[in-house]
Amino acid sequence: MSRGPAGRPPSAVGNGRRPARPVLLAGALTAAATLLVGCGPVPPFPPLPSEGPSAIAASDLVPGDVAPAAPSIAPSEAAHLSPDGFDAVQRMAVRIRNVGCGALSTGSGFAIDEHTLITNRHVVADASSLQVSTYDGRDLEVAAASTAGLADLAVVRTEDPLPSFPRLGDADPVPGQHVTVVGYPEGRALTVTQGSVIGATNDPLNANLGQVLVTDAPVEPGSSGSAALDDDGRVVGVVYAKTDDGMSLLVPLSTVQQVLADTTAFTPVEPCA
Amino acid sequence: MSDERPAGAAPVPPSYAPPGHGSGPHAVPAAAPHAAVAEAPLPDDGAAAVRRSRRRGRGAVVLAALLVVALCLAGYLWVAADRWRQSSDAWQEQARAQGERVAELESQLSAASSELAAAREQLATATSRITALADEKAQLGDENVASQQYLDYQRRVSEAAGVVASALGRCTSGQSQLIEYLRTPERYDPADLEQFGQQVDTLCAQATAANESLQQELQQ
Repeated sequence: MSRGPAGRPPSAVGNGRRPARPVLLAGALTAAATLLVGCGPVPPFPPLPSEGPSAIAASDLVPGDVAPAAPSIAPSEAAHLSPDGFDAVQRMAVRIRNVGCGALSTGSGFAIDEHTLITNRHVVADASSLQVSTYDGRDLEVAAASTAGLADLAVVRTEDPLPSFPRLGDADPVPGQHVTVVGYPEGRALTVTQGSVIGATNDPLNANLGQVLVTDAPVEPGSSGSAALDDDGRVVGVVYAKTDDGMSLLVPLSTVQQVLADTTAFTPVEPCA
Repeated sequence: MSDERPAGAAPVPPSYAPPGHGSGPHAVPAAAPHAAVAEAPLPDDGAAAVRRSRRRGRGAVVLAALLVVALCLAGYLWVAADRWRQSSDAWQEQARAQGERVAELESQLSAASSELAAAREQLATATSRITALADEKAQLGDENVASQQYLDYQRRVSEAAGVVASALGRCTSGQSQLIEYLRTPERYDPADLEQFGQQVDTLCAQATAANESLQQELQQ
């Protein structure tokens, strides 16, 4: 082992260089500390969310899951609302008064365009005149009426525009499907009833070609010609009869479309003598 | 270690030692067992003094550095605390303002909800009333039509009654005339009397049938 002049290991003495290391270390430590923490710039603080409180929305401060729901009109509800507060289902329904020769009867109907409405054949049969009124009591002048030969359907055209008209559905409703019936049972006030499709059956009255639909939606005499609507407000059938056990019978949409597509299927209503 | 030092090593000059530290010629030797060395300071004493001096110097430098670091750190902490305090005050002020804003909005929301509920109730009442009025109008229309039809019926019945009464009157007149003829039958042709009597019977039969129909209609 080699030794230095003072008899110490060179590594311990270092030939006079050892005292410089702590000084340099201390200097470096000081400089680093100065640069890092002591005299360096203070790191920026998190800024405020905005310059003024008013710029912050209340939703930013209130958790969404516990925020009280603001009162609003549901989109489905708003889409159907009219300025007078009636929804489209009510606005498209009409009341039909059949003034016959010494007889009087009422039925229901619904608009399919601005001047055309659909009802049952037996609603407009044997009439000397037809009188149509809307949900709000306005009377509409009738221009013409014609009945279909193969189904208990009739088309009435009006001189005055109808308030509203729905869209026809895409297909016949299936069993279990929810339906809404809007009409004037017993010739009384406009009524909306709910039900569901039970199934299909042969027409017990032989008034229609093919099968008809059975629903449990409550109907009464005077509901004939009422529209049966699906949940989207589209027409899926036309009420034409009521069974003894309280079920309602519908002319299915497919039959309606088939009859409407055939312009020759309708003949003008012959007034009673 | 000093035992290993060579005898011919050069002593450290006394002036080399720092004053006031007792490391000069009168200082007690570092190694007490070596009494002879105490009278003449060994070169190791000077080196030790130098090392102690250097250690003190280094200590002073380290302490100074630590002091600087501590001062800088304290300054930083003071600045940081001040800025955090300012930031906290700003946040608290903004939170308070937002809280007031939220309270105001909640109050407005509550008022709007109440107004909306009232408007909805009024709308429902209005639509129900409109529906009821439309129904009343429709019923009045039905009653009007029914009354008109009843009046038409009554008019037809009255007309029929008039026709029946007229026919019965003609029947009665014919029968009276026939009775008059039969009082003096020799004045008339028997064939003519027979024909007249048949005509009166036919007329009376028709009048009676019409009257029976009218009575049946009135009984319905």
